[in-house]
Amino acid sequence: MADPPRPPPPPIAAPEPAVQPATPLVGAAPDPDRAASAPRAMVLPPEEEAAPSPLRNAVRLLLASGAGKAGVGLFLALVLLSLWVLATYPLDFGRARWSNPAVWADNPQNAPPAWSARLGGGREVAHLARTLDAPTEVRDIPAGQVRTFRVGLAFDADRPPSALSLTLTGVTFHDRPPAILASLVRPDGAVVRLASVPIRGARPDETAPYRRFYDTNERLLLSADPTAAQGLAQVYGQTYPGLALPPDLSGNLAAGLFGRPAADGSGRIEPLPGDYALQLQAVVADPRDEIAPVRVVLSGTVFGLLGTDGLGRDIWEGLLYGVPTALLIATSTALVSTVIGAGLGILSGYAGGATDAIIQRAADIVTNVPLLPLLLFLVFILGPQLWLIMLVLVAFSWPGLAIFVRSMVLQIRSGPLVDAARALGASRRRIMLRHVFPQTAPFVVAQMIFYAPAAILAEAGLSVLGLGDPSVPTWGQMLEAGFRTGALYAGYWWWILPPGLMIVLTALAFMLLALAMEPIVDPRLRERS
Amino acid sequence: MAATIRQLAVRALTLVGVLLAVLVLLVVTLGATGVSDNILRAQVGEEVRTLRQSLAQTIRDPAELERTVAGRQRELEAFYGLERPWYARLPSAVGRVLTLDLGEARSLRTTDGSRRVSDIVLQRLPYTVALITTSTILTTIVGLTIGVRMATRVGSRLDRAVAVFAAVSNAIPTWWLGILLIYLFAFRFDLLPSGGLYSTPPPEGQWARLLDVARHAILPITTLVVVGVGPSIYGVRTMTVTAAQEDHVQLARAKGLPERQITGRHILRVAAPPIVTGLILGLGGSLGGAILTETIFNWPGMGRLFYDAISSLDEGVIIALTFVYTLIYVLSRFLLEILYVLLDPRVRFG
Repeated sequence: MADPPRPPPPPIAAPEPAVQPATPLVGAAPDPDRAASAPRAMVLPPEEEAAPSPLRNAVRLLLASGAGKAGVGLFLALVLLSLWVLATYPLDFGRARWSNPAVWADNPQNAPPAWSARLGGGREVAHLARTLDAPTEVRDIPAGQVRTFRVGLAFDADRPPSALSLTLTGVTFHDRPPAILASLVRPDGAVVRLASVPIRGARPDETAPYRRFYDTNERLLLSADPTAAQGLAQVYGQTYPGLALPPDLSGNLAAGLFGRPAADGSGRIEPLPGDYALQLQAVVADPRDEIAPVRVVLSGTVFGLLGTDGLGRDIWEGLLYGVPTALLIATSTALVSTVIGAGLGILSGYAGGATDAIIQRAADIVTNVPLLPLLLFLVFILGPQLWLIMLVLVAFSWPGLAIFVRSMVLQIRSGPLVDAARALGASRRRIMLRHVFPQTAPFVVAQMIFYAPAAILAEAGLSVLGLGDPSVPTWGQMLEAGFRTGALYAGYWWWILPPGLMIVLTALAFMLLALAMEPIVDPRLRERS
Repeated sequence: MAATIRQLAVRALTLVGVLLAVLVLLVVTLGATGVSDNILRAQVGEEVRTLRQSLAQTIRDPAELERTVAGRQRELEAFYGLERPWYARLPSAVGRVLTLDLGEARSLRTTDGSRRVSDIVLQRLPYTVALITTSTILTTIVGLTIGVRMATRVGSRLDRAVAVFAAVSNAIPTWWLGILLIYLFAFRFDLLPSGGLYSTPPPEGQWARLLDVARHAILPITTLVVVGVGPSIYGVRTMTVTAAQEDHVQLARAKGLPERQITGRHILRVAAPPIVTGLILGLGGSLGGAILTETIFNWPGMGRLFYDAISSLDEGVIIALTFVYTLIYVLSRFLLEILYVLLDPRVRFG
């Protein structure tokens, strides 16, 4: 009774669909037509007359139980979150951002959340990304101008940062290409030459101003640059003469840049806390030359609210995006399944005859199909697209409701309300829509809420098996990525736990709502509470 | 008796209809998307390749060889019906799926190296059946014992706690629970293996091996049982409560029968058929849950094979698996229907 292939849960109060023919059910849409065509007293049992309005009454009942309060609260929180995500995220988040490695290049990989550092003793390196729009200092020299960009990097961790990188988002020059040099100012006074940025000069067919790096930004991974390794070796030689060095400095350059050789001469590198600064000096020949914003990133050992995955993606960001996706999958699948299920059920029950037989046989067959294997097969053969997954889910989830609604309709059909409507000359369609449907509505709504978590769980199950729609990141896919790359075996709990927890919370929100709907749907249960 | 047989015959017919409907769906999907063409072409290509190799030793003239091979290829294509449109091949395609004659897998193999799809799927079948039956039986036993006991304490704190547990266990994805269990018991506490069937290297001796398999099965079975047991307890409880309120139970009490006998003969006997219905409804769920659980725990059954076939894009294996799963489902459903009929005197003597 676990996952996707869960059969549509038996509608609430399923054991015996004992529906009193003409009992109006609280929560049904107010229906002026019904009131007009049938005398009120006939439809309303006496104790209902005092009720202010069915809708308000339903809300009151919903909030009466603990489950209802929790369900409504959870659901509202999820809706608010998705509204926020819809307002702030780009529409093509999946393709343009989540699945685009360039966006995440600067982030540390597999980094735990920042707050986790406080739990486990050690001092971690916080992730630091700074963008400089203008130089911090400009000095005129005979050959042009020296522009200095300086970013202070406070470092007090007991382990090295995972990387130091610099990104030039664009350079414009008019005559000669600017000479750009990056260096690291260390708290021990030394300055390590990190890298110089080669900029291609004017091509013969080009006219000034010449623009570089605007389309593809120039990203320099300073902590893996051969020039930086040389520079560091030089600095160590001058500042710490005689101290033993590890055999391979460039192998762990980030540790070397933010550390010093151990004073005991053991050849280890130990962290050197203090105020560092990354300095970028650009010598431009023409004052009109431009260096567009410069980004400096000190990749931490911890990151953000929920850390990063194996590609450096911000798990918190993906997790939030999952909220509207899950709600969309849940509500649209549930809505369409319900409309089809209830529609066919009413038709089947009211029309009878061959229509009834065909619909019921079809429903019999479809309910008896094991969902997950077929879902896997269809999605595998037809391609992993979200709409297709939802379509298949709809195709397999309507029968439960259709069978149940039919049994209700059979009883309603022989009731006095429908007789009266028929006597007044109402058409079949009108009777089905205006007189039969409203009486089944509360059950139908409750069943719709039940469908929702099943859809979320089914999509997640498919994603875990590697059949998720790659253009729409979901919680299931985040988990699958973690499972496939062994995050579980490496103990990256921040990657594995949150997506599953979100699925559970969302499914639970719907289930609590359905649980709280029970007394509204089934008035017999109301008296007890 | 005649009524019983009729009842069972109707169920059997419906289930055969299900099987046929699934088969037609499989075959039509494969035909309309051109996948079946590709599978058949690959098969023809394979046979032509072996033929060319064996003929190359007897026929020396290259032109002659080409002609013979091309002729044989046309014959094969005609044999498989490749020159006809896909819908004309529907009956033969249904037959091929029925007999699991789906050619050879791309990269998957049995442990003895066979590439045939049917061999691969059939080798995995016992492991899946073992996993599903064990966990279903355990779930039912736990559900029955706790559910019946709860039914005597309706409205108690324990009763409400189990109601919440049922809702939560219904909301937990099976595979996520599996992941949690692996994280806790395999990596945090290092108590149990994280997956697979045997330790590496497998222990010597038959009993040691069996024990080793059992140790590997603990976590997957726990996963399936924990997820299934909440709804099971709750279902049994509800059915038993309904049965316990009936008049004949009051009468039995009034007669002064021992409580044990009342529970066994007067309550459970009445509640048994709906409990079996609950089992039937849960069947599809445990089947799907098993697919995901096997994947997470690397249990070498058909569920893990499904995942491997998806990863290696192996259509033949996926078709075979879909069919075998439907078959298992339909068969076990029919077994439960028989059980239902045996348990429900109204059906038997009606």
